[in-house]
Amino acid sequence: MTKNVLVYIEIDENKAARVSKEIISHALSNFSDADINGIVLADEQAINLALDDLKKCGVNKLYILKDNLFDTHSTCLFAGVLERFILENKPDILLIGATPDGRDLAPRLASKLNIGLTADCTDLQVDSEGKLLATRPTYGGKMMATIISKTLPDFATVRPGAFKYNPNAVHNEPELVYINPDISGLSSLMEIISSENKPRIDDWTCSEVIIAGGLGLKTKENFDLIYKLAELLKAKPAASRAAVEQGWAPQDIQVGQTGNSVSPKLYIAFGISGAMQHTAGITNSDKIIAVNTDKDAPIMHTADFAIQSDAVDIINSLIQKLSN
Amino acid sequence: MAFKIVVCIKQVPDTTDIRWTEHNTIQRDGLDSVINPYDLGAINLANYIKSLNREVEIIVVTMGPLQAQDSLHEALAMGCDEAYLLSDKKFSGADTLATAYTLSQFIKNFVPDFKLVICGQQAVDGDTAQTPSSLAEKLGIAQATNITKLINLCDDYAIWNKETQLCTQTIKLPLPSLVACSCNNIEINPDINSYIRSQKSQIKILNAESLNVLENNIGLKGSPTQVKNAYRPIITRTTEFLAESSSDAYADFILSEINKCKADND
Ligand SMILES: Cc1cc2nc3c(=O)[nH]c(=O)nc-3n(C[C@H](O)[C@H](O)[C@H](O)COP(=O)(O)OP(=O)(O)OC[C@H]3O[C@@H](n4cnc5c(N)ncnc54)[C@H](O)[C@@H]3O)c2cc1C
Ligand SMILES: Nc1ncnc2c1ncn2[C@@H]1O[C@H](COP(=O)(O)O)[C@@H](O)[C@H]1O
Repeated sequence: MTKNVLVYIEIDENKAARVSKEIISHALSNFSDADINGIVLADEQAINLALDDLKKCGVNKLYILKDNLFDTHSTCLFAGVLERFILENKPDILLIGATPDGRDLAPRLASKLNIGLTADCTDLQVDSEGKLLATRPTYGGKMMATIISKTLPDFATVRPGAFKYNPNAVHNEPELVYINPDISGLSSLMEIISSENKPRIDDWTCSEVIIAGGLGLKTKENFDLIYKLAELLKAKPAASRAAVEQGWAPQDIQVGQTGNSVSPKLYIAFGISGAMQHTAGITNSDKIIAVNTDKDAPIMHTADFAIQSDAVDIINSLIQKLSN
Repeated sequence: MAFKIVVCIKQVPDTTDIRWTEHNTIQRDGLDSVINPYDLGAINLANYIKSLNREVEIIVVTMGPLQAQDSLHEALAMGCDEAYLLSDKKFSGADTLATAYTLSQFIKNFVPDFKLVICGQQAVDGDTAQTPSSLAEKLGIAQATNITKLINLCDDYAIWNKETQLCTQTIKLPLPSLVACSCNNIEINPDINSYIRSQKSQIKILNAESLNVLENNIGLKGSPTQVKNAYRPIITRTTEFLAESSSDAYADFILSEINKCKADND
């Protein structure tokens, strides 16, 4: 029987959030016999600005729920509206991106519906009976657990970067279904007094080449070479948690279980040992090169290419070649 | 009337202190349990509110096995006033939905006049970050997660700083409400007075019956999610060790790989 999949699409900078597109791409290529639809909640202006991009997401139907109160992004309000929609439309599978807003919203919605929720998944499959098998790392990435739920709809949030977005897989335009949301009895309970935008590291998690540095670089000065090299290569810099903890790099560019999941074409790890918590974030890279003085470091068995050498020497040599 | 704050804490294995046996397996014996680092942030926030010259009462609660009393003792020594352990065989196997329900029943029955519930943003053992939102729903109150700072506290509302992916927000939430606090790795040293007081404080242990819970909503029975399969992450790549060479040659190799993937794109 065709499964009805509903993806909650977040809007991010006048576009469908990348993670929402990643989820749809994954569902399109992995869930056989599924009807994949999207739902978006936003105010009029946000919808108008994002509509062109929303149409390119690849869903069959796009449910558009407009209300000017939706600009607060209030979890209490969104959860109430979504609950009503879900009770009426009964999707089999419900998926939300594990962004800060998504992680706030999903558990509240699950609690309202009294259904199970598997958070922060890195893999989703559907079994022969159409049940969702949701896989997530646990114990700091040392173990993977595949989770099923006794309740319906099957519900999961998905880590940004866990799946690849494939813009080419999408051809058809969705049928647009405008719905006047019923917000009677719901209120936002939260008021945004002010909001300051953070500098944006644009889509770096899926840039082509990522140059990552770890504790093996030994000093802040050496770590700065990662930035320099990344700039020369038009690549993006990244760090292990140990390097972040040293204050060599901001948390925003940490890769791993408690940082970002990345899916570049090439991930180069300089002086990173390759703890499970780190490698949990890089498994979707097409190719991995590891540079480490210790040939037995775990990363040397995770990578496609292992180079046993001093990382700083190689970085310096690369910088020199590129500066010429 | 006292301003009552409920702080929810979780005892977790100390994953930062994992030791390996000589056979390269994880040494399970002697693996310490600690208060979830984010929950230290929650305790700290409650203490800060207490320092604002108010008649504040901090009630700390955890659902877990009897050993979790250690964490509650610690929390008392850090300044919490009252400690409750929700412990019953029937609670075991709870997922976040059942945990949130059980915690909500405790709060409704034992601290009905609470003003604020503070949780940690996430527990480091599971990293699910679901319990706080789920609990707020069960209590029917407003919530905010990723809270980094209290700006102002009034009688019927509070103003907070909240981090989202795109921005730092200042938000206003009515009271009572729930916040999940995103400050981890905080060191709180027990203060001597609290420590002495904690030696005399009794931890109150509550079972399923005393919480008035529906048996179908707690523990394994009340948990819709089940682990179907658990495994070590499998690495499917085959690694090629590059032959010993100069850093210059290695750099050339890396550059050629980078050019390959840039070329793919054209
Ligand atoms: C709950 C939890 C969550 C975590 N989340 C994350 C996460 O999201 N991301 C993350 O990265 N970590 C995370 N960690 C930490 C993780 O377990 C490791 O401690 C961390 O990844 C180690 O960082 P590192 O590889 O830079 O440092 P180390 O493990 O110290 O490794 C340094 C490496 O550099 C090598 N080296 C030394 N000198 C040189 C040289 N001159 N040239 C080349 N190589 C050299 C060494 O051989 C060694 O392999 C988490 C831990 C826990 C408990
Ligand atoms: N068993 C529990 N007892 C009390 N509080 C809990 C429990 N489990 C989770 N919490 C709270 O919920 C937060 C998030 O936990 P989690 O949803 O497991 O990531 C924790 O930081 C605690 O504040």
